Amino acid sequence: MKELKDLNIPDDIKYAEDHEWVSTEAPFRIGVSDFAQDALGDLTYVELPTVGMELAKGEEFGTLESTKSVSPLYSPLSGQVTAVNSLLEDEPGLVNSDPYGEGWIIEIAPGNLSELDELLDAAGYLEKLEQEE
Amino acid sequence: MSNPSNLKRTALYDSHLSLSGNMVDFGGWEMPLWYKTGAVKEHMAVIKAAGLFDTSHMSVVTVSGEKVREFLNFALTRDISGQRPGRCGYSAILTKEGFCLDDTIIYPLSDNRIALVVNAGMGAKVVEHMQSLPGGDRLVWSDLTGQVGKLDIQGPLALKILKDLVRNPDKLFEQFPYFSFKGDFNFADTGVFMRDGTPVLLSRTGYTGEFGFEIYLPADRAVNLWEMLMSEGEPFGLIPCGLAARDSLRAGAVLALSHQDIGPWPFVNHPWPWALPLSETGGFTKNFYGRDALDPASAPHTLPFAGYDPRKVDTESARVLCEGEDIGRVLTCVADMAIGRVDGGIVSVASPSAPAGFSPRGLVCGFIRVNRALESGSRLVLKDNRREIAVEVVTDIRPDRTARKKLSSML
Repeated sequence: MKELKDLNIPDDIKYAEDHEWVSTEAPFRIGVSDFAQDALGDLTYVELPTVGMELAKGEEFGTLESTKSVSPLYSPLSGQVTAVNSLLEDEPGLVNSDPYGEGWIIEIAPGNLSELDELLDAAGYLEKLEQEE
Repeated sequence: MSNPSNLKRTALYDSHLSLSGNMVDFGGWEMPLWYKTGAVKEHMAVIKAAGLFDTSHMSVVTVSGEKVREFLNFALTRDISGQRPGRCGYSAILTKEGFCLDDTIIYPLSDNRIALVVNAGMGAKVVEHMQSLPGGDRLVWSDLTGQVGKLDIQGPLALKILKDLVRNPDKLFEQFPYFSFKGDFNFADTGVFMRDGTPVLLSRTGYTGEFGFEIYLPADRAVNLWEMLMSEGEPFGLIPCGLAARDSLRAGAVLALSHQDIGPWPFVNHPWPWALPLSETGGFTKNFYGRDALDPASAPHTLPFAGYDPRKVDTESARVLCEGEDIGRVLTCVADMAIGRVDGGIVSVASPSAPAGFSPRGLVCGFIRVNRALESGSRLVLKDNRREIAVEVVTDIRPDRTARKKLSSML
């Protein structure tokens, strides 16, 4: 496991308690944090939703899978899925190697932008991780 | 992620940390799940090159005394009456109910002294169980857990790495078939040495399905041997491997995990027939503890399965459906990332028949326990709270494994 000080937690995006991130302007991309990819280990499969799917805030929209585990993905915002990162179908390891870049998972058209304010900023997310240490 | 206090640590604990091992509780031991290269590359290294595992958490028990072989031939499911010193054997240890207490590799050291290697945390329990059987308390039992270190070097290049690190390699490797060993757990008398004088017991066994060796040695020499192997092996692609790779490799090799694939249910109707003294007509050829409770007609069936992509189900909640009918549960469900489907059949990255540039996405595989016998090829559905996946019953999973290859072909 990475030490907290070694984690990459960019401060221009928002974080959910269960380790998803979302960008704060369009396109609203969603992925998982460096902490999450490190804890899950090498990913072997990413289950993606279909474009057009309506998501409630906190709703499960897919899974990240390692050789042994299946971990759910929860949407940090409500809205409609407008794009999925189909590169992950053949290269799930992009989530490990570049969790905030090529390893993004879906794009969403937010139903309610004020939900962004309910998410953690980088400092708040790091604080949460520190508390769980 | 929690702070695993009160866990036992092997001699290599600090080495695991310095290699960024992701440490978890495994059978009461704090062990690496994977290192910084990740479980997928570790799995692949063992199939294509070699991997090094710290398995010092396993328990080693020795027993000696008059008629020890007769005693163990009753206490173990396997018929060991013809098992010579120097040959390993796989067996189960059953309770009166015919349930599997643990599984073991048997090492006959001499006519009246035999070692049993059992799982993490099981040494004391196995000794207690054995001593409760008729005649068990007159034998001398030693639980060497913690005193013996164990490093597994597994993969097709294992011998190339090992041969220059042992004394008298030509003589040592002259005759060394699969499931045999050289040396002794009494390291003062072992007669097998690393080049630097470290005494070892060398065993041509493993838990990956691939070619390689398990090396037993005094625990306080384990760090030294680990470093020696890593430095010799690095040019060959040797990398440290954790328990996650060990689990996906063994599942693809159709090997059972004790307390998961074998456990508190009758040890019969499973894909490990060599652990039982089966006659050609299906009966048993010797008496053994737990035998009378084994009724193949009423016992559940444990079967290997493989699917069509790497998606898995959660073993806690998943059920096995046969034409819509719930027929049992899932014991192991992992992804073997070295295999994929070609024209419906399973092909490994190591298969001579693999298409050029074969880069499989992996296949779900493992074991199910169901209420009926099923033919190989039977189509089933595994269903958990999230999804349903189609799988088929198989007799084997990852093809073209190297464990049984002739030693001379691996040099």
